[in-house]
Amino acid sequence: MELHGITKRFPGVVANKDIELKVRRGTVHALVGENGAGKSTLMKILYGVQQPDEGTITVNGHAVALKTPTDAIDAGIGMVFQHFMLADNLTVLENVVLGAEKLHGIGDRARAKIRSISKEYGLDVDPDDLVEVLGVGARQRVEILKVLYRGAKILILDEPTAVLVPQEVAELFDNLRELKAEGLTVMFISHKLDEVLSVADDITVIRRGTTVATADPKTTTARQLAELMVGSALPNPSTEESTVTDKAVLTIDAVDLDGGVGQRKVLNNVSLTIHAGEIVGIAGVEGNGQAELVEVIMGMREPTSGRIWLDDKDISDWEVREIREAGVGYIPEDRHRHGLLLEAPLWENVILGHQTQAPNVKGQLIDAKAAKADTEAIVHDFDVRTPSITVTAGSLSGGNQQKLIIGRELRHQPRVLIAAHPTRGVDVGAQASIWAIIKKARREGMAVLLISADLEELVGLSDTLRVILRGGLSAPFDPDVVTREELGAAMTGADGHGHGEQEDTK
Amino acid sequence: MKLSPRRILMGAAAPVLSIVVAMVVTSIILLIARDPVGDVWAQLLKVPNPRLLIAIGNSAVVLYLSAVAVAIGFRMNLFNIGVDGQYRVAAFAAATFGGQAWLPGWLNIIVSLVVAMGAGALWAGIAGWLKVKRGVSEVISTIMLNAIATYLVAFLLQKVAMSAEGSNVSSTKKLPESSRVPGIPVTIGEQQREIYGLLFLAVLVGFLYWFVLNKTRFGFDLRATGGSETAAVASGVEVKKMVLTSMICSGAVAGLVGMPLLFGQDYAYGSTFQPGLGFAGIAVALLGRNHHLGMAFAALVWGFLDQQSNGLQINAGVSDRLVGVIQGVIVLSVVIAYELVRRANIALEQRNVAAALAAEKAKTQRDAAEVSA
Amino acid sequence: MQMSARVLPHAGLSPTPSKKETTLRQVMKMAVAATAASLALAACSSSGTTTPTATSGSTGGGAAAIKVGMAYDVGGRGDQSFNDAAAAGLDKAAKELGISSKEASAANGEAESAREERLQQLIDAGYTNIVAVGFAYADSVKKVAATNKNVKFALVDSTGAQGANIENITFAEHEGSFLVGAAAALKSKTGKIGFVGGVEMDLIKKFEAGFTAGAKAVNPNIKVSVKYLTQPPDMSGFGSVDKGKLAAEGMYQDGADVVYHAAGGSGGGVFTAAKAAGKWAIGVDSDQAASPSLASVKDVIITSMLKKVDVGVYDFIKSVKDGTFKSGEKVFNLKSNGVGYSTTGGQVDDIKAKLDDLKQQIVDGKITVPTKP
Repeated sequence: MELHGITKRFPGVVANKDIELKVRRGTVHALVGENGAGKSTLMKILYGVQQPDEGTITVNGHAVALKTPTDAIDAGIGMVFQHFMLADNLTVLENVVLGAEKLHGIGDRARAKIRSISKEYGLDVDPDDLVEVLGVGARQRVEILKVLYRGAKILILDEPTAVLVPQEVAELFDNLRELKAEGLTVMFISHKLDEVLSVADDITVIRRGTTVATADPKTTTARQLAELMVGSALPNPSTEESTVTDKAVLTIDAVDLDGGVGQRKVLNNVSLTIHAGEIVGIAGVEGNGQAELVEVIMGMREPTSGRIWLDDKDISDWEVREIREAGVGYIPEDRHRHGLLLEAPLWENVILGHQTQAPNVKGQLIDAKAAKADTEAIVHDFDVRTPSITVTAGSLSGGNQQKLIIGRELRHQPRVLIAAHPTRGVDVGAQASIWAIIKKARREGMAVLLISADLEELVGLSDTLRVILRGGLSAPFDPDVVTREELGAAMTGADGHGHGEQEDTK
Repeated sequence: MKLSPRRILMGAAAPVLSIVVAMVVTSIILLIARDPVGDVWAQLLKVPNPRLLIAIGNSAVVLYLSAVAVAIGFRMNLFNIGVDGQYRVAAFAAATFGGQAWLPGWLNIIVSLVVAMGAGALWAGIAGWLKVKRGVSEVISTIMLNAIATYLVAFLLQKVAMSAEGSNVSSTKKLPESSRVPGIPVTIGEQQREIYGLLFLAVLVGFLYWFVLNKTRFGFDLRATGGSETAAVASGVEVKKMVLTSMICSGAVAGLVGMPLLFGQDYAYGSTFQPGLGFAGIAVALLGRNHHLGMAFAALVWGFLDQQSNGLQINAGVSDRLVGVIQGVIVLSVVIAYELVRRANIALEQRNVAAALAAEKAKTQRDAAEVSA
Repeated sequence: MQMSARVLPHAGLSPTPSKKETTLRQVMKMAVAATAASLALAACSSSGTTTPTATSGSTGGGAAAIKVGMAYDVGGRGDQSFNDAAAAGLDKAAKELGISSKEASAANGEAESAREERLQQLIDAGYTNIVAVGFAYADSVKKVAATNKNVKFALVDSTGAQGANIENITFAEHEGSFLVGAAAALKSKTGKIGFVGGVEMDLIKKFEAGFTAGAKAVNPNIKVSVKYLTQPPDMSGFGSVDKGKLAAEGMYQDGADVVYHAAGGSGGGVFTAAKAAGKWAIGVDSDQAASPSLASVKDVIITSMLKKVDVGVYDFIKSVKDGTFKSGEKVFNLKSNGVGYSTTGGQVDDIKAKLDDLKQQIVDGKITVPTKP
């Protein structure tokens, strides 16, 4: 497969520019780049979701026009998305044949086909399993099988390891090598450089929408790759000397949260203390209770048992607004869903979450003038790139949206900052400045709870690290000495300290 | 919100687009039905006579109140389809209370208005309470409550009805002369007509709607909930409380819908009291985009079309149902047009923001270059 | 053997927006759909056979031709019921008297001002003899008649507006219903009969009252079950075949063997149910057994209560043409043969003597038929 001169413009931005990419048959080809470098757009072009404004795509020497996903499948290109598109309550067989009923029917013929694909590529998928009982790794294999079932010869995997723990990643890579050995071509999109180096045969680096380099994994180091991706020296999340005091600001004491009838507890006896000037990092595979922990602290959910203390005040039963007024700032994990009113102007978004606090209000009335002045100050102080404070929040880039949220929270000088994935989906520049902001807040004595999927960020920023697994917290790790392997083991429960039961996948 | 030329242009684009679409679709329907297309447009586009103008204005007063009631719900994602039931329950309650003439003159009017608001609020509050406590969709419960309102009012009307011999209309006791709201005399040409005295009520409600929504904390919370419920929750809005409060507010305004009719025209609630205003209110709120002035304009358009029904039948010789068709097409096309314009607006804004930032960046670079030079 | 973490069931799923979350736009879309549906329903419920409502029956009467404006109630010409009966009178007048006419009908849920406007526009168009069909026109006739002294009005079913230029055409429906009630009781073998009313309002209750009284007069032990299809302001009870069928089916299953309907277009359902159950039914307003559209069920219609709206309309037009117009109430009762019962099909021939005896007693004042149940 070859791409030549692919250019895609969106209103105001050029997402892809003169992309040059050559993928050899029977190899694993990695495409690496920072968030927002244009990987997703390129992927969408390959999958026929978007059409390039310029450039050509050839598959096996034939030029192809990919106008719809069907065209892409016909050309032998299959896509495995980062977020699985599987129906939980259906079996593997049903999920696989869904939308491809014409190929091998929906009955025994299809079942046999699935078994044979599974065997051929070592995917270990039983067509009659219900998807809801499968683990994340198995689900991903189902996704791969779905694509193979449709006759794909070129597989594109979008950040396939983002949802996997290290052990599952190793399994996936075994599968990929198997696919390669069978003569299939795999295109692997990632920004995790160690993984890329271990599995790829060729590497192409994309930066600011254009392909800047190709690299040979055998002769390239992760550091070199990273600098190619970023185009300059890397920002470093590491904090300076400790500012931790012995003054406990937020104390979580034996908090439980039930998961509903017949379900495991979502939070299991969580106890945690954050001191002034301390950043406590929470690592873990997504979906192990991080979101719920945040919701319980913020008052969006009531803990089933246990207490939460802010200084010496018991805030367990408080409403979100009271907790916010008491000085807890909140950077939500999903800024579009929880942090912003996308169709409202910036200055209204600055009021959001602080609609009872000065300078936004005077009594029961909104003080638009003061709120606008405050917004101007935030835009200035936190370097939010915007032409005006009256544009809608939705028209800003992700990084600037995030800076606006962080600015708005810090503007009210909270005692505690709950930061969930503060740098997710923002560009390198914004990431560096967000790290700087958090570090400054820590210096000024704020207690910070940092939840992140980025181990580098966690290790670099945190004073104390905890791992969350099935709703339970591990013992503290010292970020200065802990290894990735140790953390990975704690995240999967392989260290034997995990709370719930373990389970065989084979 | 600054009024830039672009904003005005974008604002006007949707209504104009939808009216054009509605005209085209209607013309096609007329052609298929072999009705006289030219006559219909000649009739519809004719400047209404003064008598009609006042009738349109009066219709609009009532429709506007109904639209505001619906819009309060809309602004926070609540679909109060039950304005119809609420205003009938409220009008009946107010008419029954006012007809008793326990209080003198104006006091009777004011207390009757309060009774109407209370009855409407109560009726809508049931739906709000069910949603908050039992998770019942307000769409379902308000539809049900509409049906219940119909039976309840019919039942109670039989209990209190004063049926004049031979009129075949049962209605509550008429309001005393002193508790009627005189019309505002309007002279157009040589004709003198009256517009509902309770026009001022609609203006007041419109003002309060604008003020509360845009200038108060409560309004901010309500709009935030409408913009993104999840974000509102995270910002500390107690959504359940907001649901209940806004349903009650919506119901209280719904209670006022029938008041201009009661105090300015019918003076009693009876079997010929105008039905269906709640549903018309939904259309008007959609057409007016929940905007305090937009809805006023929409109410006038809607009233105009309603009142054109007669002219179309008598002068153009087409079925009165045509007006319903035109109204339906306008609502559909206006919403589609608004959505198109909304998307265009977002794309345009993103492009403008990106362009402005790019220009700024270029400028700083140039400045830097000049400095270094 | 490889170990893998057991992850929460949803852990691998994408953060798609939760199902509970509805955006404002989704609500808007629902609103549009519902509005469109309600408009469509309104159009359906009021559509019988949608004949264009303007008919200009003109003969060479020259300048002296009488010009009649017909203002129908909701449903208009083609409702197979009340409005059609009035239209029949107009058609007869057009044929025999050489008049020209213009027709317009009411829309569901229209404002009072729309009715006034309808009358006024007919007058403006030169149709200076107005027939207002239905009691809902009472208030508007009162107003318009007061300002158009030289226009003659006929107001059907109401004495709610009176004046020197208004003729009130009213009917003693209770008297006619009394006779068919007696017929039902005489014909019934089970001792149970039924009454299906379209909408529960005073006018229809007159039918019920007469029917029950007539049945009791010949069989004091008879059981009459009564069902109204809808409550005002929901007028769909006059046009819902399904509702009529359902109500009648229940009565037949319950042992009733004769059901009388006063439910306009819903009556078709009553006849269908009767046919299916092998029982009898009684028609209303016109001689329904003779109606071509009901030919398939004519054998179950033992008689119909005749309410001669056509005669009333025709007589009014004729009186205008002859210069014998007289204002005030013109009662169409048994005495004047304005109401009665039909004998088409010969199914009541065996009891005709008895019925005529009762009729004579009513005419003579020996029996007073109640107007309220």
